[in-house]
Amino acid sequence: MSENQNTSGSTEQGASSERRTFLKVAACGVGAAWAGMVGYPIYRYIASPVEEAASADVVTEVEVEKGAELPKNAALMFKFGTKPAMLIHHDDDTWSAFLAVCTHLGCTPAYQPEEKRIFCPCHSGVYDAHSGANVAGPPPKPLPQFKVAVADGKVVVSRA
Amino acid sequence: MNYPAWDVPYLGSGWMIGIVAIIHILISHFAVGGGIFLPLTEAKALREGRKDWMLRLKGYSKFFLVLTGVFGAMTGVGIWFAIGLASPNGTSALIHNFVFGWAIEWVFFLVELTLAMVYYYTWDRIPAKLHLTIGWIYAAVSWGTLVIINGILTFKLTPGPEWMASVGTGRESEYFFDAFFNAGYLPSLGLRTLACLSLAGIWSLYFFSRLDGESDGKTKASMVQWSSMFLIPSFLLMPVFFAWYVFTIPADHRALLELGISSASAGTFTHVTRMTILSVVSSATIALAVMFFAWFQPTELKRGHALSILFLALLATGSTESVREFLRKPFVVNGYMYSNGVRVNQIEGFNRDGYLTGSVWSPVSPDAAFHHKSVGERMFQGQCMACHTLDGYRPIRKLLAGRDTTSIGSVLKMLHDNAPESPYRKFMPPLVGTEEEIRALRDWLAVQVAPASH
Amino acid sequence: MPESLGPKVYSWLDERLGLSPILELALKKRVPDHKHSFWYYWGGITLFFFIVMCFTGVLLLLYYRPGDGAYESVQQINTQIKFGWLIRSIHSWSANLMVAAAFVHMFSTFFMKAYRAPREFLWWSGFGLLSLAMVFGFSGYLLPMDDLAYFATKVGLSIPAVMPVVGPWIADLVRGGPDITAYTISRFFALHVVILPALFIPLLLLHLGLVQQHGMSIPESEQQKPEAERKSIPFFPNFVFKDLAVWLVALNVLALLAVAFPWPLGPAADPLAPAPADIHPEWYFMSSFQILKAFGGWFPGVVGEFLGIAFFNAGVVLWALVPLFDPNTKSGQWGRRVTWFGFVVLAVLIVTTIWGYAVLPAVAH
Repeated sequence: MSENQNTSGSTEQGASSERRTFLKVAACGVGAAWAGMVGYPIYRYIASPVEEAASADVVTEVEVEKGAELPKNAALMFKFGTKPAMLIHHDDDTWSAFLAVCTHLGCTPAYQPEEKRIFCPCHSGVYDAHSGANVAGPPPKPLPQFKVAVADGKVVVSRA
Repeated sequence: MNYPAWDVPYLGSGWMIGIVAIIHILISHFAVGGGIFLPLTEAKALREGRKDWMLRLKGYSKFFLVLTGVFGAMTGVGIWFAIGLASPNGTSALIHNFVFGWAIEWVFFLVELTLAMVYYYTWDRIPAKLHLTIGWIYAAVSWGTLVIINGILTFKLTPGPEWMASVGTGRESEYFFDAFFNAGYLPSLGLRTLACLSLAGIWSLYFFSRLDGESDGKTKASMVQWSSMFLIPSFLLMPVFFAWYVFTIPADHRALLELGISSASAGTFTHVTRMTILSVVSSATIALAVMFFAWFQPTELKRGHALSILFLALLATGSTESVREFLRKPFVVNGYMYSNGVRVNQIEGFNRDGYLTGSVWSPVSPDAAFHHKSVGERMFQGQCMACHTLDGYRPIRKLLAGRDTTSIGSVLKMLHDNAPESPYRKFMPPLVGTEEEIRALRDWLAVQVAPASH
Repeated sequence: MPESLGPKVYSWLDERLGLSPILELALKKRVPDHKHSFWYYWGGITLFFFIVMCFTGVLLLLYYRPGDGAYESVQQINTQIKFGWLIRSIHSWSANLMVAAAFVHMFSTFFMKAYRAPREFLWWSGFGLLSLAMVFGFSGYLLPMDDLAYFATKVGLSIPAVMPVVGPWIADLVRGGPDITAYTISRFFALHVVILPALFIPLLLLHLGLVQQHGMSIPESEQQKPEAERKSIPFFPNFVFKDLAVWLVALNVLALLAVAFPWPLGPAADPLAPAPADIHPEWYFMSSFQILKAFGGWFPGVVGEFLGIAFFNAGVVLWALVPLFDPNTKSGQWGRRVTWFGFVVLAVLIVTTIWGYAVLPAVAH
């Protein structure tokens, strides 16, 4: 029975014990690097809600700079934590504030004073300017709404 | 528009560069790494008196000469043709700035090709020591071509601060060394040199897989294992240089690496993340595949195994280069020129006087009826076609599907405004031109998207 | 050698689990090596994709919610959960690659005549596994409940529904009503994650056990050689290492597809919306879909439907019974005819699949 040369045989011939140790360490290293590479996205995937909760806890209230100077039927962009948010001063002197991240694919929507609506230019999504309800286009959910408190010339926006 | 637009239907002109470049990279890095492999192996064979190795090396250097001298050189020239057609403004800017560097590159390249031939044709005809010296000179010159081109490639993502300050003065090329030895230069040189060594090992595995494992078992085993060892430096140092390289990337571009983690769309937004995943997976896999296919059982390495390792190398280099290109979005030269050839310092003028007004190549017809339509098409060719096609890659018709004229107008307005919070800003240049030009583009696009309704 | 890794641990485990005989078997086992050896890896590749699907499937279970909120939960996986799109994309691509690899494996074993005695049960268990895999694919396709999933399932269920008398009754039972609703999702979900795995895994273990028992079959060209000229390599470590390397290559193909073409999620299913004109089932059902359609066109009415189903089922039954009418090498001339039968089946599958895609109405962008 003719056989191909067995590998362990051919490596043994020239291999010193040092080389074997190096090989073992290298093999373990490659294995560990590999496990880390596969493990990282899986860990992030599993830990996703934890991360979300952690980032949500950080900021609960923001004072909007120059918010009180906002004229009627106009909007102002500000940062709520790390995320863009939008403050709207309506014609009837009421206020609304939303997280300005389109629920469709995460673009930043804008207030359109002529149509009195929030419009996302990426895929023409439309939200109601008072409630943030998704009224037209692809957005699957309404925009998350914040509480707005106006007092003493200050506009404070907080998590609803 | 100062140059004609290159319309490559379905594929887009960018992919023409991409296809040629990937083949070129796979071979040209071998030209450098193989340049180190050959004299190193020859020296070892001389030292240990291995006749069997010398015999194989001669055949190897022929394979090397044909592959790098013909296919490497041809695809290298091919890149010049492709970038000149696809991105004439960018190519022009690079030539103006680095004309001296490219002249040196050309000299190195000529010496490299000549030496590769001399090396092959002088086997057994000149003293062994002299032959080996020629091999080492080849290695140095060949690495020299990498030293030059690396400066120009890294310049595009991290142009030096002094060079950036000189933009518009007409004296940009005086800051050659600031532009050349930029922040990304060293880590990138390290990464590429490591890639060269790995590719030398992988191509060598391919070559030596042809040896008969039974009749030639001893030679095959030793040469295959020797070739495999050329991947070890990469395995040890690649993560270090990679981390260093990532550190030199400007922060807002680095943020693109994270952008695609929690969002799935096939589009450009997530391209960098997606390709980084592929790059990491394939690079890590090569080490394991070489271990299992080649190192542990060198005599049983067959051509199919070696080809599949080469396929992994293609994936790794392709995805890595694609990440490098995309990290620069929306620029060709970061902070200086956008991917469609519009220079940052031209924007104001284009918006005020019109994008096509001073156009050298395509003056717009004065005929009023024809005018509006042709302005729209020229705007598309000049500002969109560098990255988009109508129906193929990043297809405009599909991306704008379902929109009417007003809705297309609002997208264009957003691109024109280029507001700081616009998500498109991270990948797309601002749309420039007068209101009338943008309206013309809108109407032209509307007809393309829904021809029936017009 | 395991002893050097931790001799004490090994002997402790060995005494309790009896590892030595298994290890000895693995070390003694040899795998034939010849010019057709390439095809030996395809069973392993199929297995690899199945393992990937088990892992990613479990991960998807963490966030997927069957029932009314199914679509929203998949949307959440796709757009909010970190790397959720990647896990889902790998799961979907792996499913397709697994079915593809299983087909390659099946046809390669057919043409190498690996179904002959004593390996009949390998063929039958493999046949069962592929059938279950296709049901896996069909049930999994509905779960995201986007418009494509909805209409493809609707079209797919119209195939059993054309069976005379019992057809509509079966289709209603499968759907949990006359329409595809949240009930259907729950049923398909139970099928996909509980019932099918419970059937698949034991069958898979039987299949793998039989391979160990009978060893790899060798093609006729090898069998004609005298024993001394046949080559082989040790199962461990040579074949195992090569198998692992092939798995790594398969993983990279999977990674390439999953990141370059992330599995899309369409708009939520709207039962009132008109079905897209080019709606069609997954590629591995395309052939049967097209055969039914073609017979329906040639023979209008119930006759066509009946003939279509009869033709298709006759082919499947013949295919499954092939070990019985080509039992061993003595078949001779008859054996060559069976090989031709294989070519015809392959040709019919390929032609009807291409035909099916070719006649889909072009849909404007």
